[in-house]
Amino acid sequence: MPAKAASKALKTSKLSSTSTRLSRFFFTEPLPMSKGLSLIFMLLLSLSAHAENWPAEQWSTGPKVTGPALEALESYAFPTRDDDTRQGVRTDALLVIRDGQLIYERYAGPTTADTPHLTWSISKSLMATVLGVAYGEGLFKLQDPVVKFYPALENHPAITFADLLHWASGLDWQEDYEYAPLKSSVVAMLYTRGHRDMAAYTAGFEAYAEPGQAFRYSSGDSNLLAAALRAIVGPDRYADYPWRALFEPLGIHHAVWEADASGTFVASSYAYLTARDLARIGLLMARDGRWGGRQLLPRDWIAFNREPFAGYKAHQDAAVPGGQWWLNRALDGATQPWPDAPADTFAALGHWGQALYVIPGEKLVIVRYGDDRDGSYQHNELLKRVLKAFAEKVQP
Amino acid sequence: MSARRFVRRRPFATLLLLLLVVLLGWGWQERAALWAFPDIISAYTAKEYCSCRYVMNNDVGYCHRYVKQWLPFSGFVDDSAGKRVTVSGMGRTNTAQWLGERQGCRLQP
Repeated sequence: MPAKAASKALKTSKLSSTSTRLSRFFFTEPLPMSKGLSLIFMLLLSLSAHAENWPAEQWSTGPKVTGPALEALESYAFPTRDDDTRQGVRTDALLVIRDGQLIYERYAGPTTADTPHLTWSISKSLMATVLGVAYGEGLFKLQDPVVKFYPALENHPAITFADLLHWASGLDWQEDYEYAPLKSSVVAMLYTRGHRDMAAYTAGFEAYAEPGQAFRYSSGDSNLLAAALRAIVGPDRYADYPWRALFEPLGIHHAVWEADASGTFVASSYAYLTARDLARIGLLMARDGRWGGRQLLPRDWIAFNREPFAGYKAHQDAAVPGGQWWLNRALDGATQPWPDAPADTFAALGHWGQALYVIPGEKLVIVRYGDDRDGSYQHNELLKRVLKAFAEKVQP
Repeated sequence: MSARRFVRRRPFATLLLLLLVVLLGWGWQERAALWAFPDIISAYTAKEYCSCRYVMNNDVGYCHRYVKQWLPFSGFVDDSAGKRVTVSGMGRTNTAQWLGERQGCRLQP
């Protein structure tokens, strides 16, 4: 059933069942005690579920926010834009969801509400979410050796799914993008030696550490996951799986996911979504993998995504790695990566300033697309100003 | 002339020779990376322009500025009917092709 119809059906059934039960409860003959209690329980359950906002074909909009805090946010996110020098903060899209409703949205440059924007490494978190659905189908376990599903990893048989999800394969990968093009594994993978079969290219690397011991951010690790997914769900289902398993149930109709010549999704870099659609993934994550009445991702999968990797040493990266998501956690005596945001904040982050931030405690989901070519954009600064403008609770 | 005498009489030539040997050794070790290197600019430009133009549906002018790098490219053909982008630079040519609504662009072959 298409998501739109499903969500409509869900609403109607809840409404009608609530009213039927009400009338039966109050106006018909007395019910046996146990049945009456269970009906009250069902009624409370359906009322509380109904109070939740979920997007249908479009997001419903919440109360509009104005004032100096919003102006401060906009002056940071949308300064005068220079597309010729490409300097400074260049936000393409900023969108805020609170409690399941759209409360702020603004676009700049060529990007509109209909633009499927390149997410770069947000794709990694998206692939993890797709894998989560397959995990929920019981098709693999976190401690399974990946070679079981991707035989090209035969030289590295000890690498598990948990290791790849933690960017801890132990493969000797160099992630630098622009500054060391000759030695950059990721440039070679995307554009030259590796582009025909990115996972096979990654599998050819030597190990520098035992799997699961050390963190080293690697686009190759993410593409190995994408290659393993083929055998996990079966080759027949593979080409449609991200749409069937994740995008369609969430009502996402215009996702693009480029693959390499071997047909493997470029999980490291090449998924494209509109800002409104990416926010749906954020809401799914904010609500522990539940979409409407359906637990799309198992709760223990989300818990794994949000658990800091034990082998991570403070300051190895800009945020703390969980399972293909980034966490705002204080570790090893180091402060939180984004001190002005709550500790439960987590994010999917991509090159040139792409970000999907989820703050479950504040019921906030924030999508920020950009084209930042210098280091001037700061996650903490944006989060601070968004929280000031939109958080309902008073910040400490 | 013994090696020691050569070193004494021509210290600079010796140093240059040594450097040359080191450089050749490094080049041999990095031969795969060095051989692939000239492809970067044309492959990057073709792929990212194709996706900018035909996946994100941005306009031509914006996409040209979007893919601009410090290295120049020599040839640029955007076949908008076939949604096919071919770029040459540093002696190499690469093509990216738009494949479909869900598949986006891919480097060829």
